[in-house]
Amino acid sequence: MKNEYIPFPAVIEDVRRETFDTKTFRVRFQDKELAGSFKYKQGQFMEVSVFGKGEAPISITSSPSRKDFLEFTIRAAGSVTKSIHNLKKGDCLHLRGPYGNAFPFEELKGKNIYFIAGGIGLAPLRSLINMVFDSRKDFRHIKLLYGAKTPDELCFKNELETWKKIPDTEVWLTVDKPCDGWGCRVGVVTELWKDTHIHPDNATAILCGPPIMMKFVIMKLAESGFKDKDIIMTLERYMKCGIGKCGHCNIGEKFICVDGPVFDYEQVKQLPHKEGVF
Amino acid sequence: MKIKIIEKKNIKDLLKEAAAEWNVYAPQRNLGGDVWFEALSKPGTDLDKALESVVLEGPDTVISAKDIFFPQLETLFSFNDGKIHEKIESSPKLLFGVRPCDLKGILFADAFFKRNLEDKYYLSRVENRFIVVIGCLKPPRSSCFCTSAMTGPFAKEGFDLQLVEYKDLYLVETGSQSGEEFILKFKKYFKDCPCDFEKTVDEVKSRAAGSVELKVDFQKALELMGQESFIPEENYKRIGERCIYCGGCLYACPTCTCFNVFDNSKDKSGERMRNWDGCVYEGYTRETSGHNPRKDKWQRASRRYEHKLKYDYKQAGSSGCVGCGRCLTSCPVDIGMSKFIQEITEKRKIM
Repeated sequence: MKNEYIPFPAVIEDVRRETFDTKTFRVRFQDKELAGSFKYKQGQFMEVSVFGKGEAPISITSSPSRKDFLEFTIRAAGSVTKSIHNLKKGDCLHLRGPYGNAFPFEELKGKNIYFIAGGIGLAPLRSLINMVFDSRKDFRHIKLLYGAKTPDELCFKNELETWKKIPDTEVWLTVDKPCDGWGCRVGVVTELWKDTHIHPDNATAILCGPPIMMKFVIMKLAESGFKDKDIIMTLERYMKCGIGKCGHCNIGEKFICVDGPVFDYEQVKQLPHKEGVF
Repeated sequence: MKIKIIEKKNIKDLLKEAAAEWNVYAPQRNLGGDVWFEALSKPGTDLDKALESVVLEGPDTVISAKDIFFPQLETLFSFNDGKIHEKIESSPKLLFGVRPCDLKGILFADAFFKRNLEDKYYLSRVENRFIVVIGCLKPPRSSCFCTSAMTGPFAKEGFDLQLVEYKDLYLVETGSQSGEEFILKFKKYFKDCPCDFEKTVDEVKSRAAGSVELKVDFQKALELMGQESFIPEENYKRIGERCIYCGGCLYACPTCTCFNVFDNSKDKSGERMRNWDGCVYEGYTRETSGHNPRKDKWQRASRRYEHKLKYDYKQAGSSGCVGCGRCLTSCPVDIGMSKFIQEITEKRKIM
């Protein structure tokens, strides 16, 4: 029987600063065989350990279509993530997983895709975004609507520039508080509806962001005519074990860690909202 | 297999002999007077002394035997300078004197820890176990409602042996292949019945069932809670206001299995551990940002009752309440599952 609680050492190969409190860590399993055979799906997460501090569930932000390494974009927020931020290139952390279900991929082929993210919510979507771009011709029009508190807090700034240049792809940005020279929109992410046409025909919307953003984006998408099944989101919840045992992420009969984290809005609507879905 | 008999006075000798092969666990009266399900052989204690403190009739254990397989605090692995040492426990265990409701709790937890991804720690602990159930002639707690929950006062399945108390004897029912082997192995203690005891067993069981005074409409509660439109918000709000969030009910509950995971370390070495946690605590769902999706007290009350009576039933086909009544006896403010069930099925306010 596999012991799901045992993590495996992985070496940090690169650290990139995204914002003042967020970094992206590129890691590779120390064990060559494991590094070669490890598989994951877009939208899954792993439990990342720093021994002595604990472990935290972090979504994999790299894409299965780009092999041999894993990337995690982590905001220094709690004790575990803060101690991960203290690690440097060459240091070791421990990983177990991958856990959870995945974003659809095959089902999205031939469709228009709207990626809508807030803040660090772009990190879990990035896994799917780059996977989609790696077989760009299989998909139709792609739009990314991305909001953050300030321009400084936008993650993956270089990639946002790269994505913009991909044919048939739009990237729309907004911030709550602009700085001098900010050329994009100011306001919450739903304000971007003014900038670009959001149309439900042959389209799927894929969301991740803070609870309040998700609520308003879902309302706006419904207004625009999106069916519940075509609104897909990844939910977050305080989580410990990642394998459907510790109970923390349980909502109704669903465990976010094993039944999710990816749900469509039809499934989300069936969750008992009095237990606090968002 | 036919019913066997064992004389009460021989039980302790049997346990002593079994202790050579198994880690034997039995209800024992501790210094404070409470009865706990504990190992007979512990470092620094004398087996004969432990046997003297064994209590098989009368009071039941304060909490169920769940902590033998799912300890309140356990080490998952230790780490030293990045190296991991897995700590797996799988000793042979003989649980002697488990009550039928608690057996149901154990079976429930077995299924839970097997579901989805398996929990190696729990499943290793239960790998090599033998369970002897003792049915209850009288309910050990006034809050017992096992006949309503259909979990007692005698077990129908899942035991290796079940003892039916009869005068100075126990009539022994066998529930598994290992049970039969156990009787053969210790055949000097288990005698054939001199007469037909089948009828006696039935009589004892039905008398025992009659002695459970507290009755609630359990089935109706499951039906009500199974309806999506049924949300007794007013009850949840009252419970939410009254509850002092001590967590006693969770710890005493045979089917509560929530836990926290944390590291306990100094310098580069330490242990990753888990300990019992519970859904009534405010911090249970609080996220790092401070956002708490279940911040209101009544949301947490609703979570507890709906988990047991709605979601467990939907997912596992059996309710997460086994009718042991410990939540009520352990509650300092008189809240309990039986009262909740009475409130929703009888539409009256009793809490």
